[in-house]
Amino acid sequence: MENLFAITGKGYVIVAADTTSARSIVKMKVDEDKIKVLSPHLLMAYSGEPGDTIQFSEYVERNIRLFQIRNTYPLGPSAAASWIRRSLAESLRSRKPYAVNLLLGGYDTNKHEPHLFWVDYLGTMTEVPFAAHGYGSYFVLSLLDRYHNPEASLEEGLATLKRCIAEVTKRVVVSPGQYKVKVVDKDGAREIEI
Amino acid sequence: MNTFADRFSTTGALAELRKAQKAADEEEFSDAMWGSEAGFGSLAKGVPTFSVPNIPDPTAFLRLHTDDHADPTCKIKISHGTTTLAFRFQGGVIVAVDSRATAGSYVASGTVKKVIEINPYLLGTMAGGAADCQYWETYLGMHCRLHELRNRERISVSAASKYLSNLVYSYKGMGLSMGTMICGWDKTGPAVFYVDSDGTRLKGDLFSVGSGSTFAYGVLDQGYRWDLTDEEAQELGRRSIYAAGHRDAFSGNTCNLYHVKEDGWKFIGNYDISKMHYDGPGNVLGATGGGYGYELRVEGLSSANPPVAAQA
Amino acid sequence: MSRSYDRALTVFSPDGHLFQVEYAAEAVRKGTCAVGVRGKDVVILGVEKKSVLQLQDSRTVRKVVMLDDHVCLAFAGLTADGRVLIDKARIECQSHRLTVEDPVTVEYITRHIAGIQQKYTQSGGVRPFGISTLIVGFDPHDSRPRLYQTEPSGIYSAWKANAIGRSSKTVREFLEKNHKDDLSREEAIKLTVKSLLEVVQTGAKNIEISVMESYGKVTNLDLSQIQAIVSEIEREKEAEAERKRSRLAATAAGQAAMESLATESSR
Repeated sequence: MENLFAITGKGYVIVAADTTSARSIVKMKVDEDKIKVLSPHLLMAYSGEPGDTIQFSEYVERNIRLFQIRNTYPLGPSAAASWIRRSLAESLRSRKPYAVNLLLGGYDTNKHEPHLFWVDYLGTMTEVPFAAHGYGSYFVLSLLDRYHNPEASLEEGLATLKRCIAEVTKRVVVSPGQYKVKVVDKDGAREIEI
Repeated sequence: MNTFADRFSTTGALAELRKAQKAADEEEFSDAMWGSEAGFGSLAKGVPTFSVPNIPDPTAFLRLHTDDHADPTCKIKISHGTTTLAFRFQGGVIVAVDSRATAGSYVASGTVKKVIEINPYLLGTMAGGAADCQYWETYLGMHCRLHELRNRERISVSAASKYLSNLVYSYKGMGLSMGTMICGWDKTGPAVFYVDSDGTRLKGDLFSVGSGSTFAYGVLDQGYRWDLTDEEAQELGRRSIYAAGHRDAFSGNTCNLYHVKEDGWKFIGNYDISKMHYDGPGNVLGATGGGYGYELRVEGLSSANPPVAAQA
Repeated sequence: MSRSYDRALTVFSPDGHLFQVEYAAEAVRKGTCAVGVRGKDVVILGVEKKSVLQLQDSRTVRKVVMLDDHVCLAFAGLTADGRVLIDKARIECQSHRLTVEDPVTVEYITRHIAGIQQKYTQSGGVRPFGISTLIVGFDPHDSRPRLYQTEPSGIYSAWKANAIGRSSKTVREFLEKNHKDDLSREEAIKLTVKSLLEVVQTGAKNIEISVMESYGKVTNLDLSQIQAIVSEIEREKEAEAERKRSRLAATAAGQAAMESLATESSR
């Protein structure tokens, strides 16, 4: 089962996604990257219907890039999130909607603050301090209610993320083995080994 | 009433006029005429299309007539059940498949070609609906050639697989059934992509698809290394297909083996799975001699562990 | 049929001309000049910038634009038409990445742009684009600089150096005389500025230079840098003129001496 987590901290957002790609009982791939870097300061993690996820995320990726080339500056996190949500909402009302859940983590370089948006396939969007998708969310949300600290340093944030991953690995019956973790802060987006 | 009939009839003067008008309306040139769509696009208008049955819900129609699980007496039995595998290693790509086609519990053929030779540098494998794979991969071959002519260079494996993936994605939910690996060699070296009718497309080192894939994985994963020699890799491909052919009722008969290198693919051979079980693949590169069968491998060995005293 | 309004505007004249296309080419000749020069491993775009009005913001008037990370375009002709074409090209660049997972090659995007231009000479209800473009860049996994040109008719071609727009003929002739293969970065920039100075009388403030050095590495020279190159060129010209003058003076003096000698001997 697919799991996505994200937490904000002092000047950053951490986004984590599992790396398995499964067909029925077979893991077809164990090192799949489900977090796209949409612009220098924007990350998007996605899960959902196979096929739809890739099609939708690549569509978003190219459109956000097109915006940057047309206007020379990239779309800010909340503007990007709004556009992406609307794309999903419009698709929901089409003949064949995309069934994709998203977490959007970005850093606003003007106001110097991190933003995290939780978006589901119905086009619900909300800004949150931490977020999760998948069966993992049933364990992790309560955990983060208890342990999340908005002023945590990156090291502390990563420690909290490790708690989340450990909990899910321990309690969920079919839990994925590995996670890819990316961070976005004032210096941009980058991958982190945990 | 008359006007209604006129409007929807397909013959008669008015209909002819409508057709003529429609033909005249379509004078606008499609993008493909001057080579857009990233070098794709047929000479026909817009995205590739094929005719869908003229009924409200083609998917339900197809399911009604082809689902042999729900209705064993259904008129059309689509052939399913297969083992295909492909992996990338230091010396290129190995592609190995079985050759059995089953329709329900009936072995429809034992000599199916499940590797589709798209062009001298690209191979596709066939799992799921045989017709779907054969038709769309041949169609893909056509477009790879057009890409070559338009852009004066061979299509990358990544682009070819993406073309197929986008194509099947546009028919998602309409009953296509394919699980295929697009394998080849391009500027970036050897490449394998898994593409299925869900629209999933994965780049990877090692894939196996079909009802026997789990059995193939069991052997393949354990024997796989990046620095396999050509002979070892071919032997691994053969053994994995043998394992699936032996254990999976819907796979078997023979194994077809291909090896893709820098200068294109080469057909290595066809091996009878029963023969491999009892005698091995014969005198071929990489063969260790003797049959692959468990009984042969453990001949003369015993797990009995009687006390030493009793032995004497 | 009652659709005469969208019949093609570009129709052949009895002697085989497409007047609308030729008028479009005329619009290009009235546009500001743009120059492209290919060096050894660098490619330069230089454009003549129209003087902005006193209250106008010069940053909003751009004639050199990026199509993607690695492709740059300059145009001459109707700016409004240019904007439309550029947007179509930018969309194609992203669309290409989406469908084949590779960035466009410079030739591909040139062909695409030329394709659009051609389409607008043969479709109903439209007029041709009144612009020519110079497209420069580097292909992915390749170190050779590329320079292409497109025209309103839809023709496209590759060049070592070329000019479009106002007085492009003069500039092209200048380039033909002065272009060498394997120019270094500095030489190529200098040649670009020099050739532009053939038609731009007002000097550095009306010149814009973009330098592309490798895949995705683009720099726009600022005014002071261009000014420095212009003054260098002027100094060289001055020196050249001075040399010429002194040489002339020397020959004149020599001649005078010869003459006086001749008169003396004849005496």
